[in-house]
Amino acid sequence: MRKEIAKFIINSRPYELLVEPNITLVELLREQLDLTGTKCACGVGECGSCTILVDGKPTLSCSTLALAIRGKDILTIEGLAQGTTLHPIQQAFIDCGAIQCGFCTPGMILMAKALLDENPNPTREEVKEGLGGNLCRCTGYVKIIDAVLAAAETMRKGAS
Amino acid sequence: MRVLKPFEYFEPGTVAQAVRLLLSYGDKAKVLAGGVDLIPRMRQRKVTPEYVVNIQRIAGLDYIRGNGSKGLRFGALTTLHSLELSPRIQKDYTVLYEAVHHIASVQVKTMGTAVGNLCVATPASDVATALIALGAEVKIVSVTGERTIPIENFFVGVGQTILEPGQIVTEVLLPDLPARTGGAFLKLVRTAADIAKVNVAVNLRVTSNKCEDVKIVLGSVAPTVFRAIKAEKVLGGQKPDPEVIKAAAEAAATQAKPITDLRSTAEYRRETTEVLVRRALERALEGAKA
Amino acid sequence: MSEELLVVGKRLPRWQAHAKATGAAKYTVDIKLTGMLVGKVLASQYPHARIKKIDKSKAEKLPGVEAVITWDDVPQKLYNPSKLDLILRHPEGELKDMYVISEKARFVGDRIAAVAAIDASTAEEALKLIKVEYEVLPAVFDPIEAMKPGAPRVHEFAQNNISLHIDFPVAWGDVEKGFQEADVVVEETFRTAKNHICQIEPCACVASFDADGRLTVWSPSQHVFLHRRKLAELFDMPEGMIRWITPHIGGAFGKYGSFGVEPICVALAKKAGKPVKLEYSREEDLFGTEARQRYIATGKIGVNKDGTITALQEKLIVDGGAYFTHNSSTTGVNMGSFVGLYRCPNVAAEADCVYTNVPPTGGVRGYGNHEGTCVLEQLVDLTAKKIGIDPIELRLKNIKHAGDPSNTGLPMETCTLEECIHLGMEKIGWKEKRARKKGNGTKRYGIGMAIMMDVSGAQPFNIQSTNAYIKFSEDGSANLIVGAADIGQNLMGTLSQIAAETLGIHYEDIHIVTGDTDSSMFDSGQHASRSCYQIGNAVIMAAREAKKQLLERAAIKLGVAADELDAKNRRIYVKADPQKWVSVDEVTKEAIYNFEGEHLNISGKGSFSPTQNPPPFAVVFAEVEVDTETGEVKLLNVLYVNDSGRAINPATLEGQLEGAIAQSMGYTLTEDYFINKETGALESDNFNTYKIPSALDMPETEVVLYEEQPVPSGPLGAKGGAQGAMVAITPAIANAIYDAVGVFITDMPATPEKILEALKRKKATN
Repeated sequence: MRKEIAKFIINSRPYELLVEPNITLVELLREQLDLTGTKCACGVGECGSCTILVDGKPTLSCSTLALAIRGKDILTIEGLAQGTTLHPIQQAFIDCGAIQCGFCTPGMILMAKALLDENPNPTREEVKEGLGGNLCRCTGYVKIIDAVLAAAETMRKGAS
Repeated sequence: MRVLKPFEYFEPGTVAQAVRLLLSYGDKAKVLAGGVDLIPRMRQRKVTPEYVVNIQRIAGLDYIRGNGSKGLRFGALTTLHSLELSPRIQKDYTVLYEAVHHIASVQVKTMGTAVGNLCVATPASDVATALIALGAEVKIVSVTGERTIPIENFFVGVGQTILEPGQIVTEVLLPDLPARTGGAFLKLVRTAADIAKVNVAVNLRVTSNKCEDVKIVLGSVAPTVFRAIKAEKVLGGQKPDPEVIKAAAEAAATQAKPITDLRSTAEYRRETTEVLVRRALERALEGAKA
Repeated sequence: MSEELLVVGKRLPRWQAHAKATGAAKYTVDIKLTGMLVGKVLASQYPHARIKKIDKSKAEKLPGVEAVITWDDVPQKLYNPSKLDLILRHPEGELKDMYVISEKARFVGDRIAAVAAIDASTAEEALKLIKVEYEVLPAVFDPIEAMKPGAPRVHEFAQNNISLHIDFPVAWGDVEKGFQEADVVVEETFRTAKNHICQIEPCACVASFDADGRLTVWSPSQHVFLHRRKLAELFDMPEGMIRWITPHIGGAFGKYGSFGVEPICVALAKKAGKPVKLEYSREEDLFGTEARQRYIATGKIGVNKDGTITALQEKLIVDGGAYFTHNSSTTGVNMGSFVGLYRCPNVAAEADCVYTNVPPTGGVRGYGNHEGTCVLEQLVDLTAKKIGIDPIELRLKNIKHAGDPSNTGLPMETCTLEECIHLGMEKIGWKEKRARKKGNGTKRYGIGMAIMMDVSGAQPFNIQSTNAYIKFSEDGSANLIVGAADIGQNLMGTLSQIAAETLGIHYEDIHIVTGDTDSSMFDSGQHASRSCYQIGNAVIMAAREAKKQLLERAAIKLGVAADELDAKNRRIYVKADPQKWVSVDEVTKEAIYNFEGEHLNISGKGSFSPTQNPPPFAVVFAEVEVDTETGEVKLLNVLYVNDSGRAINPATLEGQLEGAIAQSMGYTLTEDYFINKETGALESDNFNTYKIPSALDMPETEVVLYEEQPVPSGPLGAKGGAQGAMVAITPAIANAIYDAVGVFITDMPATPEKILEALKRKKATN
């Protein structure tokens, strides 16, 4: 199996890494780059914990080959805050009590970002639809949905 | 963790290159598009390809465009989410829209392609059920040329299509639907994000108060998604009265060959096939009359 | 408390919320140590088989493999993976029937061998090279079948596979007489669901021996001290040579009241002489860690025409799976909940715990109360229908009041069931909604309810002791050191709020030290909803001691007597003249950097062992719509009225109750543990086959926190709340289905298939 030197852009940082074809993106992130914020909880693309953004699109990193996304713009949870300033979605999750054990949180926050980037003013139902691929066992989703709606409002105010 | 077994990896830049690779490696190769089906199955060792041919870098396969007066076409790399967002599909091909919209995971819809879904050939495919009801076709390209076949002839068994090594689907073609056409898609699931227990798509036209071009398509109740021809014949050419609708629905249920598995029982699937077909026909008729 | 609370009762951000929101929080699965090996377990592919021979030589020779262990390499000691045998007053019922690696395969997934290698693919290769010679034995998957003569014997000692027969030890009255006296007797048999808690972080452990032979274990344990002692006993080590650390925990819900994979991970680390990380895949987590017991529960209730209960009896067959684990404790709680929720003069219960060749069960959220109350509350609705009175009226006739014993037998300081019932009835519009005509439409509306009481710990049955230590730094902030783990329930934020309130400083001034047996003192662990109530009390004691020192030092500075002072908002002030104050940090700094020979690092210690067990109460209403043609149940709305005394952090408590609604919905309607009857393999082994609810499945929800009666023995009036939060939701949903279409699903989950079947049977009999 041929190893390749591949270029990646992760959280706006360029990387040049020796990568085998059979390494998944979640493995690259967690094991090769020590970016353990992205989680792997099922390995079959069902739980959404491994969600990251590839060119802004929500992507299951457990079901993505690392080589397949070289050169694309990858955003993981570690890259969301600007220095010490949290993204409004992160802040809203904290303020609304949307985090309990926190294991689903990184994937949930990034999925919420993708949702709000596409639809800045979603209804509650649209938020539920947007989070249909992210499982949480602790919260019952209620405060997560509250947080996404609160973040949407903050972001709309910030944009205007 | 290296959950995947080693394989040789290719990123062809053209369809021609892709089919040449697939022809040379035959059964040992798998096509990678969205990856939402292939990678998990590789991890679970359900498939162990020695060669993975990633077609994502091939330009010109991600599109939705009109086909003149002949309907709509979309490419092999068109994602489910693109289909969901397309105003033309929402308006003119509501059956497809409904099928895609009710796939729960946005990530799966963002990564996954409709063509990829068809090639997986699961008997529970929502996408296949809807596309067959709409009379859609696929264009198959090989080293020797290309041909177009109706999707209802595309599946041959559980997880099996008519594709030979060296062949690839590049496009789906949706016919233009005449006026007074209505369709509906319904499914039964355990939770919103589950594979269907039963899924049903219907499409029909009402002319002079008679049902024409009736398509009743059943998923999850046979080794492949299929048209319930007997049921279509019960309704075709008839007035859309409740008794006829019921008879068509019952006929559809007799054509179902469901199994019992961890999602549901054969008995339940058979019974609810009748219910879903009946409800879908009622919805389709409302749409046709509107 | 008439005084205004400044920190307690506020929706403050939880402990480590920032770390979790930025991906900085480290869980066991995230830990990386230098030279760490990857551990993998070889699982049995047979449900029942003797192991004739294992040849591990090829595996051991594979380059990159550092240890291969089989049964011969592990301690030859039988143990019970739960912590109960260490703290129960009467531990005889906690059977020890498990080895670190099994000597016989008793379920598909049982541990047969394990390897530690330089990476996962090498470990996987090595597993394939281990040659196991099995003698396949017949297997049994159903407890009724297992109890028949001639059934395959799962454990040698258990005749008819009955591991233990339990007669409920504190029965009272005379049930036979009670049933004779009753006007109406209702008896029904229910099968509760075997359901997996599906915490999102897969089970994992990291174990490392240092150069002195001292072992450090990282894992999501809920009982670091008890598990440390258990591990010490297993591996013949003194407890002091083991340090247990809990990283952030991605969900536990009671499951880590048992070992996860620690014993086998430690055995690998010991053999390899290097750190080992053992992480389960989701599939391994589902078949290899404990699920709920399935109970075949026959409940019997005797009532008079006016609704007074005369007798309650429960007979249980417990499908415990291949190993005993928590079977007797959860069963005991099940029985205690069944007979103890209502006033009743005559009660009895008994159970047979049975072995079957399926993955083992343990103690998870609800811990038997869930299943016991589920059966009882459905029985109550059945009975109400039979005697023709409103189900709430029947409950009100029999509910307990303050002073009555709770389901633990201890007297209740408060009992707010009646108040919560009325509050809920009012809010949801019970009377009007129950009076709605069902109609003949395809879709039928139904409303149901249920009540419950749970616990604030396991007293008087177990050791429940705990300690807290507070020490100040010069800047007026304080470390709060507790031996408890935050399992995602924001225990640390809750305790911080209690500490800050008592000390008179800010929430941000509390710096938590947690989940490390080296730095903290003993805690009995996170179970039975004990932590806020019991550790909260220990924290208050510690805080009061520290506060006393603060006030004494401040008194000298201010030239007053200490009892004239109080502390609030980082200030120590004269109560009669609040303008006279000194800041907390001034006092703490001068006490530490003291030139007068009066050095003092202001601190306080608290040690608490409870004598009371105030139950949290819940009254839950559920509204459903049942499609009579497909049997589908749409859960429309759930109203949860909860009494936890006082909500230290309302957002935290609400969040847990909302989570319980999702878990109960899954338990009641969709989650099914599917064993293949031919092979014994678990078919529902990942999230694509075992379906837990997503956001799209959730109903409307409303949580009401009833806080009118803080409990006197609780820290600032608080008691438990979230451990038992599933208990009343499941029967409320079941009762709503009963109201909608007149059928009870006596075999959970209440799937559409079963409902449609039941509707057909009902139609046929009418």
